[in-house]
Amino acid sequence: MLKSTLILILLSLFLGTGVWLVFTWAVKKGEFDDTEGPKFRMLEDDPQPRKDQNHAEKD
Amino acid sequence: MNDSAPQCDHCALSIPAGVLIEDEVSGATRKFCCRGCQGAFRIIHGAGLGVFYGRRDWGQGGLPEGAFDQQYDDGYLARFVQPAETGAEMTFLLEGIRCASCVWLNEKILQELPGVHSARVNYGTHRARVSFDPDQTTPAALFAAVSRLGYLPRPYSADTATRLAEQERRSLLIRFGTAAFLSMQLMGYSLALYAGYFQGIDADSRWLMQLFSALVTTPVVFYCGWPFLHSAWRSLKNRSAGMDLLIVLGVLAAYGASLHAMVFDGEVYFDTAAMIITLILAGRLFEGAARRQAAAGVDRLLRLAPERALRREGEQWCEIDSAALQPDDQILVRPGERFPTDGQLLSEATEIDEAAVTGEPLPVLRQAGESVAAGTLNLTTSAQVRVSASAANSFVARVARLVEEAQSRRAPVQALADRLAAGFVPLVALLAAATWGYWSFWPNPEVNPLLAAVAVLVIACPCALGLATPTAVLVASGAAAAQGILFRGGDVLEASARLTLAAFDKTGTLTTGKPQVVALHPAPGINQEQLLGWAALAEAGSNHPLARGILAAARSRGIEPGMGQGVRALPGLGVEVKTPQGLLRVGNRRLLEQAGVLALPAPAPGGTTEVHLALGGNYLGNLLLADPLRPEAAETLKSLHQLGLKSTLLTGDNNAAAARAASSLPLDKAIGELLPADKARWVEEATARGERVLMVGDGINDAPALSAASVGCAMAGGTDIALATSDLVLTKPDLAHLLVALRLARRTLSIIRQNLFWAFAYNLLALPLAAAGTLVPIHAAVAMALSSICVVGNSLRLAKLSGHESRALALAPPLSENSPC
Repeated sequence: MLKSTLILILLSLFLGTGVWLVFTWAVKKGEFDDTEGPKFRMLEDDPQPRKDQNHAEKD
Repeated sequence: MNDSAPQCDHCALSIPAGVLIEDEVSGATRKFCCRGCQGAFRIIHGAGLGVFYGRRDWGQGGLPEGAFDQQYDDGYLARFVQPAETGAEMTFLLEGIRCASCVWLNEKILQELPGVHSARVNYGTHRARVSFDPDQTTPAALFAAVSRLGYLPRPYSADTATRLAEQERRSLLIRFGTAAFLSMQLMGYSLALYAGYFQGIDADSRWLMQLFSALVTTPVVFYCGWPFLHSAWRSLKNRSAGMDLLIVLGVLAAYGASLHAMVFDGEVYFDTAAMIITLILAGRLFEGAARRQAAAGVDRLLRLAPERALRREGEQWCEIDSAALQPDDQILVRPGERFPTDGQLLSEATEIDEAAVTGEPLPVLRQAGESVAAGTLNLTTSAQVRVSASAANSFVARVARLVEEAQSRRAPVQALADRLAAGFVPLVALLAAATWGYWSFWPNPEVNPLLAAVAVLVIACPCALGLATPTAVLVASGAAAAQGILFRGGDVLEASARLTLAAFDKTGTLTTGKPQVVALHPAPGINQEQLLGWAALAEAGSNHPLARGILAAARSRGIEPGMGQGVRALPGLGVEVKTPQGLLRVGNRRLLEQAGVLALPAPAPGGTTEVHLALGGNYLGNLLLADPLRPEAAETLKSLHQLGLKSTLLTGDNNAAAARAASSLPLDKAIGELLPADKARWVEEATARGERVLMVGDGINDAPALSAASVGCAMAGGTDIALATSDLVLTKPDLAHLLVALRLARRTLSIIRQNLFWAFAYNLLALPLAAAGTLVPIHAAVAMALSSICVVGNSLRLAKLSGHESRALALAPPLSENSPC
């Protein structure tokens, strides 16, 4: 009984630590710097813009 | 905006008659106001990004002036490029971002450039971060791509202060995240222990749970709680008790007592220690968010002055860093550029757009010898300027320092929580000592005197105290911001709640700032339509507010003005147009007097602007333009009375104009002929009488009064400096929002007071239990949780506008042209 509790607790700590690592990585990467933009960005589903030509000469 | 004019398909500005350009793009005929717009439209369509036009939701044009004639130099820009794993990375500010579509468009156009790996534009700060391959593209190419769309890129190098602030914010976020994660783990063990307390638990399991509790709590106390430990230590050294000391006292008491209990088989309080720290970190995070919300935009203002300047060196103009400019240097500022620093004009007269600095909507004529301010826009001629202050001491830089100072001050409401805590600390220490003394003198086998004293310390630390102010301020400023009301800090909310007197500027505040034609006085032999037609002909190409007023009046009478050939703008006077019938002059009295036109009528009474017309030597008549009152002004002033605020008009106009305004509005007092310094003095005198003054105004002439008032309120409309110096900003030019702001402020203050009560209430209830030595961990946990829930829930009530506030908004006409963008 005690042993299984110990295993489960360690398992949950292990999982949680993984999530925590992802979180700190995301903060350091600047993922939380702009909390306003994504809600607009998510509504966009546009075709991939063409990358094959140089638009500098287009006009 | 006048709807009857055709609109440019790109910039959405109305197209002056005669300059219409039609072009066939993607199989449809499009209308443009200039070649620039046509080109930009073609670029956007050519890149397959035509959906932009459907996506944007602004009906009003307005690209930053001078956005097109910028040149970008790789050598200069290279210093802003940082090496990155993928090649190079560069951050720059984008001027002209209005909405999410602008963000989208800029990102796409940058990503399309060859060699660009990724481009991200921050919606809040308007900063673009681009990572690219320096072998394939250059910073100048990035800038050129953006500026071809009509956005103005400006190099951005974060100074040490902003970088530090950013780092601090991230470290706080990580501390909070860590604390939250560990506290959640801890809650599992604590629940097992609570259950064990009531139902019984075998000693081994209990010890295991306690061990894990200690394991996860230790980093919470010493890593996440480090800022509090540090500041408590400092306040101990300074012998001044604050909130942090109270927190640390409670946390360390709980932590120490629990470690002791683990060894001697007692109850542990680890959850209390961890919860206090987690919740107070959350409070700090909210506080920072509220402050950043208010500070947004100021950062961009500070970068108005360009970073490069043309300095005379011998016979040549050399481009140098603005920071290197010294007083008495001579610099050249071309039309469409902003002045890098303050100085005196050496060359001939030029017109200057000071809207960003003074809020003056009309371009201002500056003669040789007059001074010009950093950040203002040179409009008509190339100006030579003798520098009078280094860039670091320029007007914009001085304002920037003031704003920063204002933002770093601590909110008095926050100080209230600190004061409360300061009084509480000795009280709690005394109580703990008394508990210990009592149980030592009258020993009881059931009670350990030391543990009872520690329990008093633990329960007395209200973790909701840290949430009381920040949550209320955050929710209130969030609700306000959604309505276009920006409170610059919690102290402004508090000050707004205590106001007793409101002083208003007239132009642009009680009036709309958009002149309308109120009277037509044609000379004999000419009818009104003809007069208006002539005036419109001359003004058709102009963007001057007076010209717009005249054009609107012409269109409302069904006159479509033709476009005059050879229109010449005369700075400070008016315009001249060559017509088949002779030279048409439209302008002020001085223009016609200089041209030798006779038979001008006597000046009209004050309060109106006269525009005179003459064809050749013949006087045609004049138009009177006046600035109409805002439709909601009267209703707002009446509501202010109901709130118990007296209202006063302070204006620079003559007394007659002031009296006329007072007669049509429910004002208590109207004072005219005031210089900017007089307004400030008036506000100071009122403050000395014990009034708490709200000053509503715009522009530099109100700035002294705005800063002298308890709360300075500026309304949006091209008045960047006023916006930066004021405490309260209405981003929609609508006085009804002022009422909403004041009512919300009053409600917030009372909510904060209630919060402080709830923060202490449950803890005080549990205090006798602790002193009696019968406190168990679950009591402490329940007290903490209940007080936190009450405080947060109470603050959330601010999110909903009360009936009063919605009514105030209902009184305002819906704003169509200034919708989100």
